[in-house]
Amino acid sequence: MRVALYVTCLVDLMRPSVGFASLRLLEAAGCEVIVPEAQTCCGQPAWSAGDRDLASDLARKAIAELEGYDYVVIPSGSCTDQICNVYPQLLSGDSLWGGRAQRLAERTYELTTFLADVLKVSTVPSEFDGSVTYHDSCKGLRTLGIKQQPRELLLRTPGAAIKEMADCEECCGFGGAFSVNFSEVSTRIVDRKCDSIAEAAADAVVGGDLGCLLNIEGRLRRRGDETTRVLHIAEVLAGGEES
Amino acid sequence: MSAAKHSQAMHFHARAGENVRNPVLQRALQKAKPLFVGKRAKGIAALADDGLEFEMLRTACEGIRNRTLADLDVWLDIFEERAITSGAEVLWARDGEEVGRLVVDIARRYGVTKATKSKSMLSEEAHLNEVLAKAGVRPVETDLGEYIVQLAGETPSHIIAPAVHKTIEEIEALFAKEHGRPVETRTSADIPDMTREAREVLRQHFLSAEMGISGANFLIAETGTAALVTNEGNGRMVTTLPKVHVVVTGIEKIVPTLEDFATLMRLLPRSATGQTISNYVSLLTGTKQPGDQDGPEKTVFILVDNGRANLLGSPYQDMLRCIRCGACMNHCPVYFSLGGHAYGWVYPGPMGSVLTPLYTGIENALDLPHASTGCNQCGSVCPVRIPLPKLMHQLREEQVERHLRPWSERLALKAWAWVAGQPVLYRWLTRRAVRYLNWLADDAGRIRIFGLAPGWTAGRDLPVASGRTFHELYKARK
Repeated sequence: MRVALYVTCLVDLMRPSVGFASLRLLEAAGCEVIVPEAQTCCGQPAWSAGDRDLASDLARKAIAELEGYDYVVIPSGSCTDQICNVYPQLLSGDSLWGGRAQRLAERTYELTTFLADVLKVSTVPSEFDGSVTYHDSCKGLRTLGIKQQPRELLLRTPGAAIKEMADCEECCGFGGAFSVNFSEVSTRIVDRKCDSIAEAAADAVVGGDLGCLLNIEGRLRRRGDETTRVLHIAEVLAGGEES
Repeated sequence: MSAAKHSQAMHFHARAGENVRNPVLQRALQKAKPLFVGKRAKGIAALADDGLEFEMLRTACEGIRNRTLADLDVWLDIFEERAITSGAEVLWARDGEEVGRLVVDIARRYGVTKATKSKSMLSEEAHLNEVLAKAGVRPVETDLGEYIVQLAGETPSHIIAPAVHKTIEEIEALFAKEHGRPVETRTSADIPDMTREAREVLRQHFLSAEMGISGANFLIAETGTAALVTNEGNGRMVTTLPKVHVVVTGIEKIVPTLEDFATLMRLLPRSATGQTISNYVSLLTGTKQPGDQDGPEKTVFILVDNGRANLLGSPYQDMLRCIRCGACMNHCPVYFSLGGHAYGWVYPGPMGSVLTPLYTGIENALDLPHASTGCNQCGSVCPVRIPLPKLMHQLREEQVERHLRPWSERLALKAWAWVAGQPVLYRWLTRRAVRYLNWLADDAGRIRIFGLAPGWTAGRDLPVASGRTFHELYKARK
């Protein structure tokens, strides 16, 4: 089974360890993992800004480099949503690319969904020890229906105990460009998330989207919380630290 | 567009910031949100007690609204005919100004000096209170929240809870001042007391007003009826005591049959306040007939367009399904961070972020479609399945197509997208970028002030990694 790992631009720039953790998880589950070399960004920032043309250009680029594999796996709900839900709609009027977008969408999965629903893994290579509280990122939760998959995988992680926070489905306030353009509002929203995290008193807050995690970590640290670890689900499941 | 001159939506950014920094407002909002969310969740869960299921009802409600909108002109004609048959007059208003003129005309015809009002957001679109006051008619808001807001000289900050932005202490101070008594210490336990106080004042107005003005939650075509969904009983006073009753409502509020209305009522109160049914549901048809105990001698429907007809057949038609329950704003992280006034026009929250640009001009509300994290909490609770994030997104695309975005944003986006289309150049630039980020970071691996995106580090640190990109490290490993 040839699986293309699409690491996302944010992981490439801000947290390479998430990419390596994803790689280890997929390999441990028996996949032949390829990291397509020309990958850059799925184009979500252009799409969110309302620029269909730029978003379509980047969509075609991504489709061309990702369509030759059995599966495409992405450690992010929002980038998966972009490929699975936005690409087909963006290119629906394009006789050449519309069908290719649709076929790629059918083979593209968010990491925890792929591990839990497609591969149905029963063990994970983790050595994580401590309590975790899981933040459900919006796109993953509400457009892809990711809710049980990361929790199932965490339950299979010896040593990891789940402590649910209040309002775990509430938005963290990231929203891409929103976090910078409406920074005060965004900060107010992430403050409420940080309150819930503090109340849960877990060793680590865990999520499936790096944007949300950078937002949460950035605010926790600014508030003076130096101890709560902020981890991507891949980092928890893959165990070890490598960069 | 006439509505544009009253809109403050262009100041959204500045007002959002002020409101986030307002501790009193924050206290009021913080208290309200869990109540709204919790009550709705209970109300929806309780559907099972009646053997009902949310998604099935949503489909039914969405269907009713879509079918109505598909033949809106026909249903409006039927409504007009049936309403006239039952003794009412039906007038049509193109915009808010015309609403004002029509209501003032009616007031003059019947020698009205005071009008009691039941909650109506459309009268806010028309600035009706201002217009009436100028014409020598005293408008008195009788919904408790609206009454508070009117006393304070403000506008509603929420479509079903107009005074949600106020704390109990603020309301107590306001009541003491306006009702001419010393200030007392009040807690939520005293709310019944404060309500009684307002009631005593309002009772005099109910008895002396010559005109009652209400909105309508729905217009029922087959019977020519206005349906009113309220909790305080003020709606009944307003619509039955005065000799003249004027209903001001939007043309999209129509539903074909009483059966359709009953179906929509399964979800409206539950979505709004979590109630199975509101305390009062009034079906108002025609005028007082011989043998009737009460009712107005004259009933006038003013059916208002004010931008609605333009949405028919447009990519925004879904928005006309809205039944004004408020669930979208009640579940919106942005709304509850800044309250409704920051949105600058009549409707706040996600539905307002769509309606304000559509009714007052896209160019007059550039921030609103962007004032969303895209979380879709609104879309997932909407009882008529309006895809609010999708509509906001369409507005963003229209801003780009109409060249309404700042040139700096456009340039940055184009440059970035161009680079992202050139993998070799992209790798080279990102390698340099992460080294630069790493150089900016402190010993803990965090950037505290980031000149390229000062908005990020205004309230947050930026955690950065080791100074190598994933692709660089991956290549080295191979």
